[in-house]
Amino acid sequence: MDTIFEFLFKYRLLLFQEGEFTFASPWPVLIVLGGVAVVTMPALLTYRAARGASSRWDRGVMAALRLGLVAILVFILFRPTLILTSVVAQRNFVGVLIDDSQSMGITNQDGVARSDFVQSNFGSEDSELRSALSERFELRFFRFSRDASRLNDMADLSYSGTATNLGNAMVRAQEELAGVPIAGLVVLSDGADNSGEALAESLLPLQAAGVPVYTVGLGEEELSPDVQVSRVEMPRTVLVGTSLVVDVIVSHRGYSGRTVQLTVEDTGLLLASEDVTFGRDGEPVVARVRIDAQDAGPRLLRFQVSVQEGERVTENNARNALVNVVNDSEKILYFEGEPRWEVKFLRRAVSEDDNLQVVVLQRTAEGKFLRLDVDGPEELEAGFPKTREELFRYRALVLGSVEASFFTHDQLDMIADFVSRRGGGLLFLGGRNAFAEGGYQGTRLAEILPVFLDDELSSGGGRYFDELFITPTRDGLTHPATQLGAGDSDAVVERWEALPSVTTLNPITRLKPGATPLLTGGTEGDRERQVVLAFHRYGRGKVVVLPIQDSWIWQMHADIPLEDQTHETFWRQLLRWLTDGVPQQVEAQGERELVEPGQPVNLLVEVGDSAYAEVNNANVVAVVRDPSGDSTTVTLDWDVEQDGQYDGGFPTTGPGLYEVSVRASRGADDIGTAFTYVEVAPSADEYFDASMRGTTLRRVADQTGGLFYTPESVATLPEDISLTGAGIRLTEERDLWDMPILLILVLCLMAGEWGYRRKRGLI
Amino acid sequence: MRALSSSVGAVVGAVALIVLLGSPPATTNATAPSEATNIKSPAPLAKPQTRFLSSTGVSRALGDLRAPLETGVLAESPADAAQIPVYGVPHEFYFSRVAYSGYGGFYGRGGSWQTDFPKADRIFLSFIDRLLPNLDAYLSEFVVLLDEPDLRRFPFLYALEVGSMSLSPPEIEGLRSYLLQGGFLVIDDFWGTQQWAQFEYEIRQVLPEYEIVDLPLDHNVFTTFYEIDEVIQVPNVGNGTRGGPTWERDGFIPMVRGIHDEKGRLMVIINWNTDLGDAWEWADDPYYPFEYSKYAYEMGVNFIVYAMSH
Repeated sequence: MDTIFEFLFKYRLLLFQEGEFTFASPWPVLIVLGGVAVVTMPALLTYRAARGASSRWDRGVMAALRLGLVAILVFILFRPTLILTSVVAQRNFVGVLIDDSQSMGITNQDGVARSDFVQSNFGSEDSELRSALSERFELRFFRFSRDASRLNDMADLSYSGTATNLGNAMVRAQEELAGVPIAGLVVLSDGADNSGEALAESLLPLQAAGVPVYTVGLGEEELSPDVQVSRVEMPRTVLVGTSLVVDVIVSHRGYSGRTVQLTVEDTGLLLASEDVTFGRDGEPVVARVRIDAQDAGPRLLRFQVSVQEGERVTENNARNALVNVVNDSEKILYFEGEPRWEVKFLRRAVSEDDNLQVVVLQRTAEGKFLRLDVDGPEELEAGFPKTREELFRYRALVLGSVEASFFTHDQLDMIADFVSRRGGGLLFLGGRNAFAEGGYQGTRLAEILPVFLDDELSSGGGRYFDELFITPTRDGLTHPATQLGAGDSDAVVERWEALPSVTTLNPITRLKPGATPLLTGGTEGDRERQVVLAFHRYGRGKVVVLPIQDSWIWQMHADIPLEDQTHETFWRQLLRWLTDGVPQQVEAQGERELVEPGQPVNLLVEVGDSAYAEVNNANVVAVVRDPSGDSTTVTLDWDVEQDGQYDGGFPTTGPGLYEVSVRASRGADDIGTAFTYVEVAPSADEYFDASMRGTTLRRVADQTGGLFYTPESVATLPEDISLTGAGIRLTEERDLWDMPILLILVLCLMAGEWGYRRKRGLI
Repeated sequence: MRALSSSVGAVVGAVALIVLLGSPPATTNATAPSEATNIKSPAPLAKPQTRFLSSTGVSRALGDLRAPLETGVLAESPADAAQIPVYGVPHEFYFSRVAYSGYGGFYGRGGSWQTDFPKADRIFLSFIDRLLPNLDAYLSEFVVLLDEPDLRRFPFLYALEVGSMSLSPPEIEGLRSYLLQGGFLVIDDFWGTQQWAQFEYEIRQVLPEYEIVDLPLDHNVFTTFYEIDEVIQVPNVGNGTRGGPTWERDGFIPMVRGIHDEKGRLMVIINWNTDLGDAWEWADDPYYPFEYSKYAYEMGVNFIVYAMSH
């Protein structure tokens, strides 16, 4: 296509796009038109006289052909010209940026590495492309991976960079060449940017300076066949003894229908394994793996799929994730408004769990409370907490059958703040004074519930009552609170449906948008008539409803054998999940949990006071212990942009686990401490999603005014830079009158007229 | 005159009892036991000294007394549910009297489990209704059998006169699994060494590996609602009203004993050489000393609160 165009129009399409078309006739237009009229007028007049045997139609055709010919001649006479500006040879610079990261070592189908292109085209001074470029421009070489730097000798390229930051590289190169006229930047890369920074921001300085970027995409856009463990979704902190369900996203190309095994290891010890079956090419599969967090402390887990035969990239089959398994005791306040069996059996169910401390405040009579499992005699002395400091000491709140009128307005607001501001978990149980039956509709708490409250039944003086057979919803099958330690989804359903029915006094059937139902109940045949367990996130915390009144049946019913642990498991997992992720007053986290040796770690710390209001004037100090046992102290400052947030950093040297303990204080008062861990290890990020990013490179080129090439089309690069580049430019005019197409058209028209005459017998 | 003074005395006694026990009455009615059905006492099914088996015969006879728990109505919609009268909906707490198998005939009626039945139950529940107004209690007598699966729905049991108790193997199994799974049993009104021996033999068949221990006064059960600082011997109504000795047979010293599970939670509480049931029943009799009723009700309330929280 392009070659045909070039043959007909003398120059490539690019020149027509870049250049400006104009007529360069030395004579003024009017005179030329006048001359043309003088010549054609007698011709027209004589033709009219010499009619001969021609018809009107014939005369029309022949006139058109002749006039066409004349038009072309006039066109030529007007001297059509293409005005181009092109870069002056040898006066401008071109920066060549070479990707020096590990992904350049990936080979294509024929075993040719991406870096081979660089070597063959720029390796020595004699290579064709390099010499073509250096004829026109002064070349300056750069190498980039995580950072960019000048490259003086091609032999310095090692292709061992562990991250690719394209935006930063271009900006740095442009800055380095800021003092000289740049024609453009040439980027030789696969475009696999994994820095996480927005590319658009990095392009702004280039666009402002008008520097076009010419990108050459190396490597294939699809690596096939390949298996990759793309992402692992796991919480950073977990309570010991919890059964975690982790989502692992595995993608593949070229292995449709194959089943592979995903294993999870903790320093060599196998924790779990799960079979993954691949679907269509390119479609990621989410594997759910259940891991029991048994040992306390920081654990580095490795998620791995074994290498399949013929895989293009093997380093992307495993991913590490760091999780901190803590052995804390989560303090939960259970406030019950009347003597109930649920209190007894809930306490019994979680009595064995060392990580849960359920403090029970039970109202036995008006103004009379029974306190169980309190830390000391002063705790909850005055009944239900009246101040935020007192309530916020707990990490979760369970409300039983307490009528709304028991609480003051401020206490209701306090409970809502417990969820939204303190980030605690709130669980509402069913009962005769719960939900609408307890007068909660229209109160502050009705706003934070994940369900709508139907109006309390007022007719006939009766009470709502229903018997419920329970089944889990789709979300409930894998949720930690409801999967009951069973194996696969079918086992979970079986477990729930085998349980005896329970009863409810609260008709809860409507979920608010955004709420997640985990269990539903109904008749034995239709178990989806009512909500049995549902939750939603509210503010920093979550609100859960369990509108049944006798889950203790699952412990006491005659069909349940003595050794059955379903009731215990359900309550333990539910309460653990309720306290999961609830923040402390001081929360510390490294910005990234896996960092490379030598890279600094950025620490983010959030500090709140005892009412969980953000504190901006705290004294925050972190003590970092590196793998060799040495400690350094880092002071963190308020980051000014966000209330309660502090940041600071520390450098890392060798690989291993770094322990960070953060202490926050204000004046003489201690606010709290927090622990976090950072794993420092060389990363294999380069090998993940390492296909050539054509769209990214094209976008970079388009937005800066450059062009995109592949190794096959790169031959025109030098000329294209001349035509489209920035820098010192020269205007030149190119004649178009000798375009082959014009000659062809003239010949065609003449031959056409002669042929027509012959055919019509006019000659 | 006597009638007037006795009725005045009854009212004064009742009011004094409640005032001293600390909770004002929530509602003003419900002092008298309900007059509902005309309860027929079960026919004497066995001669004295004959082993009295708990059988379907007993179940049928008790059928009238059973609350229609099992017929909890399924509501098709909230509008339907509004039509359900309250008694059809199960309550949280049932004061469940155990009809155990045993040797009948102390009083010539079939089975010592019926002692003071049903009056003690009703009066007890009426007072509980005022002392624990938050508690959703079924306010009538209620009888259960140890070998039926429905037993599990009632985690609080009361059994008295256990000196005549003789459990069949299904009852032993039923009671054992009930207690180990979380049930609570209150034993009351048996006196002397011989009755203790009979009871101990039975309970050892149910829970052979658990010890019977004396409960010290700082045990939780004495502090859950009322603070009880002394174990009093509560006499039966005859001894109490006549002002006679409080003991029966050779049970001179009242003792509160219990059986705990491995985690230290009480499964069985044993009130030996004392008669709480009579004190509950005769609390409104002006001739029955008030202090015994006070103690008995304090213990009763504490048992309930303990059972529903530990």
